[in-house]
Amino acid sequence: MTGVVLTLRLGRWGIVGFSLAAFVLTFVQTTGFYQIAGSTPGARAAFGASMATLAAQFVALFPPPIRPDTVGGYVEFRGFHPLAILFAVWALASATGFVRGDEERGTVEAALATGTSRVALIASRVAGFAIAITVASAAAGAGFVFGVALGHETVEAQRVIEASLLLAAIGLACYALSLLAAQVAGPSASTAVAGALLLALFIDNSLSRAMASLTTWRWLSPFRYYDLSQPLPSGGNFDGRAFLVLIGIGVVAAGAAAAAFMRRDLGAPLVSGPRIPHRLRHDASTAPWWKVAVVRGLYERRLGLLAWCAGMAVLAAVFVALTRTIVQVLLSIPTLLPYLSIFVHQQLYPAVLGYTWFNVAQLLFAALAITYVARWSAEDTDGRLEILLSQPQSRAAIVLERMTVLAASAVLIAAASGAVLYYASHQQGIDLNTQRLTAASLMLVPFALVFAGAGSLLAAWNPRAAVALLGAFAFASYLDTELATIYKLPVWLQDLSAFKLFGTPLLNGIDGRNLALMLLLALAGLGSSILAMQRRDVGA
Amino acid sequence: MLVEMAVVAIRTSKLTKDYGAARGLFELDLQVSPQEVFGYLGPNGSGKTTTIRLLMGMIRPTTGSAHVFGLDCVRDSVEVKRKVGYLPGDVPQFGSLRGSEIVAYLGGMRGGVDRRHVRAIAERLDLDLNRRFREYSSGNKQKLAILLAFMHRPELLVLDEPTSGLDPLNQQEFYAMLREARDDGATVFLSSHILSEVEHVCDRVGILRSGRLVRVAQLDELRRIRVHRVEVEFAPDAEVPEARLRSAPGVESLQVEGSRVTCTIRGSFDGLLDAISDSEVTDLVSTEPSLEEFFLSFFGEPRPKALPA
Repeated sequence: MTGVVLTLRLGRWGIVGFSLAAFVLTFVQTTGFYQIAGSTPGARAAFGASMATLAAQFVALFPPPIRPDTVGGYVEFRGFHPLAILFAVWALASATGFVRGDEERGTVEAALATGTSRVALIASRVAGFAIAITVASAAAGAGFVFGVALGHETVEAQRVIEASLLLAAIGLACYALSLLAAQVAGPSASTAVAGALLLALFIDNSLSRAMASLTTWRWLSPFRYYDLSQPLPSGGNFDGRAFLVLIGIGVVAAGAAAAAFMRRDLGAPLVSGPRIPHRLRHDASTAPWWKVAVVRGLYERRLGLLAWCAGMAVLAAVFVALTRTIVQVLLSIPTLLPYLSIFVHQQLYPAVLGYTWFNVAQLLFAALAITYVARWSAEDTDGRLEILLSQPQSRAAIVLERMTVLAASAVLIAAASGAVLYYASHQQGIDLNTQRLTAASLMLVPFALVFAGAGSLLAAWNPRAAVALLGAFAFASYLDTELATIYKLPVWLQDLSAFKLFGTPLLNGIDGRNLALMLLLALAGLGSSILAMQRRDVGA
Repeated sequence: MLVEMAVVAIRTSKLTKDYGAARGLFELDLQVSPQEVFGYLGPNGSGKTTTIRLLMGMIRPTTGSAHVFGLDCVRDSVEVKRKVGYLPGDVPQFGSLRGSEIVAYLGGMRGGVDRRHVRAIAERLDLDLNRRFREYSSGNKQKLAILLAFMHRPELLVLDEPTSGLDPLNQQEFYAMLREARDDGATVFLSSHILSEVEHVCDRVGILRSGRLVRVAQLDELRRIRVHRVEVEFAPDAEVPEARLRSAPGVESLQVEGSRVTCTIRGSFDGLLDAISDSEVTDLVSTEPSLEEFFLSFFGEPRPKALPA
């Protein structure tokens, strides 16, 4: 019991943050539905048709919605499905944080020294996360119920409970799978291996919607069992067996993780590679990159950078492959043909690719910025910033070097994914404007810098809260674009969102004003973070 | 004034960092001369690390000022750090970087680090730089931190409890390195809560308590005022020289239980050794008092709650 309480105590900010995000997302989508869907049956049917068209473009991310002309169908698609991905990321971060962070900080060692068994420790962490994700899932359900009440409609409680339970179950399954992967890989590789596993399982299920060859493998993915239910809309369903499979995945994977934990040494993976003969050394490294600012930062992050480049390149190729399928689906809808005929053979492929790929790429570049800010915060708390500042470097130089490393990383990742996008689309016979593709890919760099600037300021002001606050900022920025047209937000407020400022560069080229605004926001973040860093106490 | 400041390695004037609730450092006036090894002694939470972080420009003073070789620790912090080798109280975490890469990383940031000097220190401390940081034991992490502080032959070494985690052999090696650095012209500012360590290597000692500097003492003064708790076990058939012990200079709080004698020695051991020189002693144990006990003895203050009666 103490272990469960400790898990909840350690993860309290995650619980509060994700619960809040879940509530806000479903509430805003629900109230948004009443703003834009109209009130007559005809208006709602037309709205549902347009949503179905939109959903076809997102087939790689979410399953097609059932009855998007109803509030349940719409919020299932726009609120609950994105939350499933968000909760999977939360599960990944929590599970690998237990293996990597807590083990390196000595928390695990201290817990085991109290006489707690390894199985009990794993069980307490899993139970703690199960409680946490149930709370956040309930918050998602509550947001929907409140929104529906404001729309003067009613919803069956059972449907909401089922939708919330499904969210909790997918989160728990992802947590247990991440925990198992992390136990096998050991602390140092836990995040990479668990992240790769979840991504592979997600892509396996997503691509199986468009590629028939993958349908034989989709039973492997927990996301498949999440997809089998859509309880919120009228006419939707709740697959009890699929729900039990999700719970079963969680239990079996958690049991396997406990077994792996019992068999491995603390700080080491379950399976180690062959030992390389050790050579004693008393010299400093002579590699030239350690002497060059920025280059040393890139070198230190080389493995992560490589993983990002490879992951983004693979995703870009996947999205190109999906584009043809999506376009064929769009063209098969007779009511869309008059509209699409304006673009066919000219702009349709760039429009779809720009909409799907660059939307996902924006989210991933925001995540990239958040991971860098998380590292800056960690440097502050683990004493590394103090030792860096004890060298003859100004605080401004340290902040500037951090931002430049992030910018250079973003350029490399954008270049890798852009190059693959160009090559793969060329192979598929999709003709993309090279200049616009280059510009659109490079536009991801100032986009990431907007978040990096905000994160740099937060890390300088309050490093312990920086990641959570930046996550909230990214979420609010995303909502800003989602809600701008629904709630008719003022232009200046819309312009604070990098998601809105990014625009549609693959289709329409770069908007100079938006680029300038993004650079201005990034510079404002950088400048204010330098000022904040110069005034604050380090290590106190 | 400028000339005078230039010859002083460290000078603080009414230096205060107030964290509230009587925590922090208050009105510190301190001066450390070049080539001096200055010990900074105080129990946990007395303000040692706060002082060091103020000198390094990591934190900003509430009031007052600190200068290193005449340079303001806040305004000229980059120049100050060029002259200083710093060992923080907690060794920073470098994850999976190898020792050789950490040295190259920080050496690259600093510039002008002599590779032969790095090698000499690593060999001397028997520190394998080919290992990853996370593989190092706590003692080896401390050795790496010492190497990072010494690698550029700084004019001033600011060391926050530098021997924590080091085994006795490496402690001796470290003390030798300090003496050599001093002989080469470096100044050393060293914080500790171990009396014998400060006594071993320092020329002068500043004693800090509850954020205030209560005394700056020369080494011989420290030796004079420090105390040891001694237990002497005489042979079963030998007579305990109780009268001689009671009258011996420096012997206090004498207690005799059969053939076992316990007492406190203030200053020199000569009086005790004279008193027992004619008796057959089977065992003699001298224990250094904790810093709290030292303060108790030195300042005659009430016994802290943590100490046994």
